[in-house]
Amino acid sequence: MPELKRLPATRIVATPAALDAAKWPDGTLALRLASDELLVTPPVANPALDDPHAIIIADAGYAGVWLPEAEALAFLERACEWELPVQRPAFAQGAVAGIAAKLWFEAGRVLLIVPAPLIADFEERMA
Amino acid sequence: MNEFMEKKVQFKWHEPKKHYDVVIIGGGGHGLSTAYFLATRHGVTDVAVLERSYIGGGNSGRNTTVIRSNYGIPEAVRFYQRSVELYYQLEAETERWIMHKQKGLLWLAHTEAAVRAEVARAEINTAFGADTEYVTPKQIKEICPEIDLSGGGAWPVIGGSYHPAGSTARHDRVNWALAEGANRRGVHIHQRTAVTGLLMDGDRVTGVETTAGPISAKVVLSAVGGHVTTLAKMAGLRLPIRTHPLQAYVTNHYELTFNPIVASTSLLFYVSQTARGEMLIGAEIDRQPSYSYNSGHHFLQSCSFRAITLLPFLRNLRILRQWTGVCDMSPDYSPIMGKTGVEGFYITTGWGTWGFKAIPAGGEQMAQLIATGQTPEPIAPFSLDRFANDRTLADRGSAGTH
Amino acid sequence: MSILIPCPHCGSRPIQEFVYGEIPAVPDTLTDPDARDLDRAFMRANPEGVQAEAWFHLYGCRRWVRLERDTRTDAIQSS
Repeated sequence: MPELKRLPATRIVATPAALDAAKWPDGTLALRLASDELLVTPPVANPALDDPHAIIIADAGYAGVWLPEAEALAFLERACEWELPVQRPAFAQGAVAGIAAKLWFEAGRVLLIVPAPLIADFEERMA
Repeated sequence: MNEFMEKKVQFKWHEPKKHYDVVIIGGGGHGLSTAYFLATRHGVTDVAVLERSYIGGGNSGRNTTVIRSNYGIPEAVRFYQRSVELYYQLEAETERWIMHKQKGLLWLAHTEAAVRAEVARAEINTAFGADTEYVTPKQIKEICPEIDLSGGGAWPVIGGSYHPAGSTARHDRVNWALAEGANRRGVHIHQRTAVTGLLMDGDRVTGVETTAGPISAKVVLSAVGGHVTTLAKMAGLRLPIRTHPLQAYVTNHYELTFNPIVASTSLLFYVSQTARGEMLIGAEIDRQPSYSYNSGHHFLQSCSFRAITLLPFLRNLRILRQWTGVCDMSPDYSPIMGKTGVEGFYITTGWGTWGFKAIPAGGEQMAQLIATGQTPEPIAPFSLDRFANDRTLADRGSAGTH
Repeated sequence: MSILIPCPHCGSRPIQEFVYGEIPAVPDTLTDPDARDLDRAFMRANPEGVQAEAWFHLYGCRRWVRLERDTRTDAIQSS
């Protein structure tokens, strides 16, 4: 089982319209945590946003691991009490093995993100 | 075989009369106990107990039957100690076997703050007549060898309190013994008779509307569990009550004897063994108010995880059944007993997760109130007006699992 | 059977992912300031039926979800 590693990111709170319109560099993941909130990884410096009141902060509070899709689904299907998305790519968040997790599904692989203080707990529950 | 077992409970059923001196709404523990003490202590027998289902079929039949008096405030220690003493003599008094069994109750502390709370509990219990002592991990292990003092490495047991009087009884038998004792002396018990409204004369309650027709009464007592808000609303009262579900479950038969009642103040669960040998496990209330008796798998999962942390042998047992009751929670985690400000209408409610242990004393005190019209001193602090008078009785730490 | 709460952002999730939030309501008929304070601090409607409430999605979007739930059955009426 691969280890979870710190996932440096930028957290942005802004109007939904500004977040919808924002553009991100290639290779950047922009996860929509809420209609007015994004988690962008790797971190972005000075993102262009059409919202003068946007809050942009560095967020070092998460850890993540990429897993092959089959391996991830085998784990998630017994660790989630809710329906996993079937389309790709897709973002989902909710309790995974009792821990607040965020999931990014791509064709062939899945990124699991959990709060960094819970890395050890989560790895124990994955095993 | 106990001699009490051989006597069958006998009830005499009646047609509802048009008038009673006293109408008690709710044929659970508190309603039946009040009727019992009215009949046996005050000779008041023109009493009807109205039960919408069957006696003891509501939340009296859904509790986990722990009897104890290790509370955290003087008013509560004295009240529950009276109840514990009445329980200890209830079999002799009613000549019915209620399967009362002394077990001793262990409350485990996992933090420095919890240790201080348990030391204080032992002191205040001793001061006000209940027997509770502070115990070290070594003593805890002697009382309950099954405990993993390391708490699975995450929840080490660093102290606790021990309450030797802690006991259990069979809830149905308690209800039947009280019902029969009252019934034998002339109290009418009407099952399948639901109260649908209160009869009012101006601001005064003069009786009840029921599925069997109107019944007038000099005094109406609400002794219901779970529906008191709706009932009080009919009398124009708003209550400081929220009704929450409480879940519990039993495992299959555990072949060895597990004597004590064990509760953890941090892990929020308690365990005892039933007379059938099942391990009975309960926990805290569900966070959302609800009147539904829905049970959930999540509860079994989280509660079992916590229980196994301290009592690893539970891991090898299987869950046999689970159930849910509803609890009327007061803001200060103390009951509400007595007059309501509405003439002719008394309540006994706010029994949260601690109603069963209070059945004898609650009934005794409410009976005295009804018979004399005067609020007895032991329950005066528990009156409804304490919220308006800034005299709340905060005792959340003694609810056991909150 | 877990109660499912429909989160408009995350989808349906088990109730354990949420924190219950009550929406207190003092009856309009209470106009005396002391009575209003007492009611707001302690008294509860505690209805047997449908009540409006808020749930905080702690394990997901961390936003409040408003809905109506029937306290007799736990059926969620709307979101």
